[in-house]
Amino acid sequence: MDVEGEPFDRRLSRREMLRLAGFAAGVTVVAGPAAACGAAAKKVSSSTKETGQLHVLDWAGYENDGGQPMFAAYVHAHPQNKPQFTYMTNEADALAKIRAGLKPDLFRPYIGWVEYFAKSGLVQPWDPSLISNFKHLNQFMVKAGQYQGKQYGIPDDWGFDAILYRSDKVTPKSQSWDLLWDDRYAGKIAWFDDIEMLEIAGLYLGFPNTWEQTDDQLNQSKQLLISKKHLAKVIWSSETTLDQAFAAGDIWIAYAWPADWVYMKAKKLDVTYMRPKELPIAWVGYFMLLKDTPRFNLAHAYVDAWSSTKSAKWLEDNYAYGHANTVARPASADTLKALLLNNPKGIVEPNAHLDRDIPRRAQYEKAWEEVKAA
Amino acid sequence: MAVEVAAVPKPRRRRLRHALVTPGLLGLPIGWLICFFLVPVGIVAAYSLGPSLAASPHPVTLKTWHDFLHSTTYLRLFWSSLQLSLIVSVLVVAVAYPLAYYLALSGTKRKYVLLLLLIAPFLTSYLLRVLAWKIILGNQGPIDSFLSSVGLHPLSLIYTRFAVILVLGYIWLPFVALPIFVSLESLDRGLLEAASDLYASRLQAFGRVTLPLSLPGVFAAFLFVFIPTLGEFVTPSLVGGTSSSSGYMYGNAIQDLFVHGFPDWETGSVLAIFLLGVVAVLMVVFSRFLQPRQVAAD
Repeated sequence: MDVEGEPFDRRLSRREMLRLAGFAAGVTVVAGPAAACGAAAKKVSSSTKETGQLHVLDWAGYENDGGQPMFAAYVHAHPQNKPQFTYMTNEADALAKIRAGLKPDLFRPYIGWVEYFAKSGLVQPWDPSLISNFKHLNQFMVKAGQYQGKQYGIPDDWGFDAILYRSDKVTPKSQSWDLLWDDRYAGKIAWFDDIEMLEIAGLYLGFPNTWEQTDDQLNQSKQLLISKKHLAKVIWSSETTLDQAFAAGDIWIAYAWPADWVYMKAKKLDVTYMRPKELPIAWVGYFMLLKDTPRFNLAHAYVDAWSSTKSAKWLEDNYAYGHANTVARPASADTLKALLLNNPKGIVEPNAHLDRDIPRRAQYEKAWEEVKAA
Repeated sequence: MAVEVAAVPKPRRRRLRHALVTPGLLGLPIGWLICFFLVPVGIVAAYSLGPSLAASPHPVTLKTWHDFLHSTTYLRLFWSSLQLSLIVSVLVVAVAYPLAYYLALSGTKRKYVLLLLLIAPFLTSYLLRVLAWKIILGNQGPIDSFLSSVGLHPLSLIYTRFAVILVLGYIWLPFVALPIFVSLESLDRGLLEAASDLYASRLQAFGRVTLPLSLPGVFAAFLFVFIPTLGEFVTPSLVGGTSSSSGYMYGNAIQDLFVHGFPDWETGSVLAIFLLGVVAVLMVVFSRFLQPRQVAAD
């Protein structure tokens, strides 16, 4: 189901219902699709009963409905319930906003936080039967969005955390995360403002499980970052900050996402998106549904629009992010190669470390705050 | 008799009116202060003593305070921020004083026009002004572009401690100039004439009359800039760097602890209350200098 998805479902429903009236009740082959169509019809009628704008808490950049197919199908089908956006800078920010009283209908944390939010009692599971594009989604990612057998997260975008550098200015000693603290480029490096820097330090230091570092390991990671922090000119939390600094030449090396690589190439900068030998960190974004949302069906319709092949392809072509929709393929061979889209195991070892839940997140956060304050 | 009867209720009404005037005038601001200052500060203070207000009853603990006072990280950051604020405040006062002196005492007819020009930046958003500096100091900004064009090495001023000091100074200059201007403007010119009659040179008159009498304005101006910059986090996050040596400030740490990382409101509250305590002490210390009569008597 793409842009015209719901009207199509409605037509199908009527036809099937007429057929059902004409055929004998015992034709069980028809009964299945008819039930599905009944559900679709119920979905349409339920979502049209829901009122008000859909409140989405999302990352900046995913809110533009200026004709891009990201969620255009939803806007087309529900013009009276257009999404209203609030921005989150990271999952902790989203958590703080929700705890402070913000009531979004849905939001988008990444894979390392799915279990945390599922346990938090703030969210409820989705009903995949209300998402017609659900069948196209990567089954591995779908399974990773489950908690206690329920579908708490609907996978959407995915990509890698790796190093972006100016090929005309930088010559890495090796393909390693240590480029983020290479003395030769002091003052030209950007780190990311997140505990992921401790995970990266752990990978560099060779810890067996960087997401579950012991106190001693965490201290080693912290000390490494503190000792190298003077080399970093920026610790970015907003992608805009990174993009501006990189495009202006203030920064030559950065922890970055694929979209930054695309952006810098569009700026005609000679850039490389490096896969470190310690492996990049892969991430998957999940839509999560807030408990007690008054727009349950509209939220499903919105996620269905995001899950469509058309949206997925647009995301791959324009942001160089992968999409959980396995049917979509980017137009660019470069993007295809960078995202390892030909490799079904592109986001897991031995190609990348898939980000995951951090049981001792509070300790990691404390260590990271100390790195910044040091 | 009729006059007496008519006259009796007036003082009562007046008394009643007088009795209502004070709470009427003060009620709203006091209520406002209680609701939006004392209560929030109380909540923050409570957070500094326990894990969460939302949770079921929990024991009060001083652990976070203990960790804070025994960890050099945040205290060093505070000391560094204190130094940065002091530098900004002293520099801005030093720049603003001659400016205010000229406006107040030069006798120029255009002093209010010049004053308007001085406060003109207030007509633009704070964020826009900082962002403008971000461009000016950036690698492709006018300064570095000019240096590159004449074959010199770019200074790369953005994301440095210098950038934070410069931008904070620029932002707070009008705030500092105004109280000094007011203080100098209200100066009794007769005192300067008397000093001149007693053969004091202009420098002596300035040192023994003008400067002492303008000191309350100077201290007020100093506090106007010192206290807010001590907790500043917007400017350092836009033009500052990654550590205290490159402009990361104590206010940034508080902001990060509350909203940026995994919420650590307990530590953030401890940092905030400590800052509030230091500012309160400084206010008490400086308040004696804000008494014009006392300064004059000294």
